[in-house]
Amino acid sequence: MVETLAQLKTGDQAKLLDFTKNPSLHFKLLSLGVLPGDLIKVLSCAPFGGPIVVKHGERTTFAIRKAEAKDVSIELQTPEAR
Amino acid sequence: MNEVLESLSESIGESHLVQLPLIGLPNAGKSTIFNLLTGGFRKVSNYSGITVEAARGELLTNNQENVTQYELIDLPGIYNLTPTSYDEGVTVSTLLELGPKYSFEKAIILLDWHRITPSLGMALGVLKRIGKKAIIIINKDDDQEVTLEDRSRLQRALGVPVLTISALNTDLKTLDHFIRLEHPVVEENSIAPLPITPLSASYLPSSLNGHKSLNIIPGSRGEEAVANEIDSNLKEARRILGGLQTSNHQRSILSDKIDKIVLHPLLGGIIFFAIFYLIFNAIYSWAGPIMELTEQVVLMTGQWVGDFLPNGLFKSLIVDALFGGVGGVLIFLPQIMILFFLLSLLEQSGYISRAALISDKVMSYFGLGGKAFLPYMSGYACAIPGIMAARTIPNQKERLATIMTLPLITCSARLPVYILIIGTFVPSYTVFKVFNTQALSFFFLYFLGSFAALIIAKILRLSAFKGDSSSFLIDLPQYEMPSFKAAFRQSWQKGRSFLRKAGTIILALSVLIWLLSTFPRLSEEKVQGHTPQETAALQLEHSILGRMGHTIEPVIRPLGMNWKIGVGLLVSFGARELFVSAMGTLYALGEVDEESEGLRAKLMAEIDPITKKPVFDLATAWSILFFFVFSLQCTSTLAILKKETGGWRIPIITFTYMLILAYSSSFLIYHALS
Repeated sequence: MVETLAQLKTGDQAKLLDFTKNPSLHFKLLSLGVLPGDLIKVLSCAPFGGPIVVKHGERTTFAIRKAEAKDVSIELQTPEAR
Repeated sequence: MNEVLESLSESIGESHLVQLPLIGLPNAGKSTIFNLLTGGFRKVSNYSGITVEAARGELLTNNQENVTQYELIDLPGIYNLTPTSYDEGVTVSTLLELGPKYSFEKAIILLDWHRITPSLGMALGVLKRIGKKAIIIINKDDDQEVTLEDRSRLQRALGVPVLTISALNTDLKTLDHFIRLEHPVVEENSIAPLPITPLSASYLPSSLNGHKSLNIIPGSRGEEAVANEIDSNLKEARRILGGLQTSNHQRSILSDKIDKIVLHPLLGGIIFFAIFYLIFNAIYSWAGPIMELTEQVVLMTGQWVGDFLPNGLFKSLIVDALFGGVGGVLIFLPQIMILFFLLSLLEQSGYISRAALISDKVMSYFGLGGKAFLPYMSGYACAIPGIMAARTIPNQKERLATIMTLPLITCSARLPVYILIIGTFVPSYTVFKVFNTQALSFFFLYFLGSFAALIIAKILRLSAFKGDSSSFLIDLPQYEMPSFKAAFRQSWQKGRSFLRKAGTIILALSVLIWLLSTFPRLSEEKVQGHTPQETAALQLEHSILGRMGHTIEPVIRPLGMNWKIGVGLLVSFGARELFVSAMGTLYALGEVDEESEGLRAKLMAEIDPITKKPVFDLATAWSILFFFVFSLQCTSTLAILKKETGGWRIPIITFTYMLILAYSSSFLIYHALS
């Protein structure tokens, strides 16, 4: 069972549930226009096990470190739900 | 750090002009608008954190009669009013008019149509605090459309005037008219203080604690209050925008496709190295012919002018100090312009944030993060903007580790020295079919400096600056087609400031070097019976600089250097390029016959009077190169280190460790090669 953003693989889509655990991450995500309940897609994982690249909506792309992605809980979307 | 903020607030406040702050998300096009309105050449790029110092400029249209004299202030980009670094702190304290020095009648909020939701969220937060003092400009692409209905919807919802423009292709008149339009100012009843966490407050000037516009709330209650504030702005923004079609889907898909390749775990790494190798190669091979041409022109002009002058001291001053010293530095203009041209293209394209992300993991092994990438990257041009860009690093210890190692990054002032020495002493041939040995040596020196910077940063992060790393969450802008015009402008601007430096500081110091190496004169009896060649050599040794060189010779002998190189090293502590101009002057003075040769040929031909072997061999050449890789020979860098850290401690420590590193590595490489 996939539970956090850190566990997602390239191409996965998910619904964000909660990211209030880490306050600075929380502020930053909100400022980028991201809210719990939104859908995201993992575009890629950077070379050398670096940050995860996440697409939110049609416009926003951001990168987040694996360690911080652990603080973002998600719900993996099954292909039917997409 | 408070010193920085104070000096910043000074630079923002002192003026008779009416202040007009310009705010927006990082990379929203503020600098483009700033350039348009002021005619100023503000660097435009596609990466957050480029504007670290508030830039100011008078509006071009101030010269009309009876108009308000506005001064536009380009503030660092913000996502909200909760600062997470010093550069954001500058913007927030300006907007909240914290302190008597900050005040304005009107502010421009720039909305990025690409990222309209977060832009609007930020704008709503700002409007809550500055009320109707704001006017809004929407920045869009040429191929996007903002309907009248969209605009009036925003205008109604925000209650302030809104204008739509396309930053790359807009009419200055319309923009100027909009800015100067008188808008009815509605008095705000009472503005609630901004909730802020103690951490965020630490990025604001400390004298402002307890200011009426701030409500510093400690603990989880503060975090909750800040989150609520941003959250409600975002929800409000979404409500206003509901159903608005803003995207240019085709471009977005293309951008994602590029990212698939560029951020691919394996390919991405290869592309990363390929891009940077290409830059070094370009500097080396493309600039080569242009450089030789410039050198020929300088030489021929020098000879031509020399023919008109009577023999004597004045001729020596013109030919040796002016053409030998200044001309020797001038020939590196093409390289510098090519470097900045390529860096500008890269910055505009949006690749820099990808590079930050690709490097984040590697940087984290050294106790830094992807946020240190831009400061380091700027360091390749010059350490000074790099050290200032480090203000965007939220974590204080990471920031200090970054700025203390930044001077190790190979800056453009080292370029003339590297090119002179490598071009003269490293034989050029092709290895593995594609790589040129000179370009590889060049790449190696850049690598060596960067690697040393990271190792020292790691040591610092394990000892003096131990502690947690800052978080890394970076916004990736869409790829943009870089503008060659902007890149050329950027490169020309840097070229011009290089020329200005050559025409002033380097000229003055070249003359000084000439004076010190020409006087005192030898008496007539002493030179009798010597050939002109020997006389020139004796005269040089007799001079003040010659004696200084001889004094320090014992210290640099172990590095394989003679007293002339010693003189070059001494003067290079003022500025690195002076090494080349000192060499140019010293070798021009030693030469008597009129057969003019370039400095490179002279260096190769010089024979040590004692050993009867060439003075410069490969070992000496690499010894000089290593010294320049590691040592901090730049008074401006020391000054900025003092300014940014608020004392002499950090600059002194940095200077000392780099000198030790330089001396010992030169010693090692010299003995390994000879």
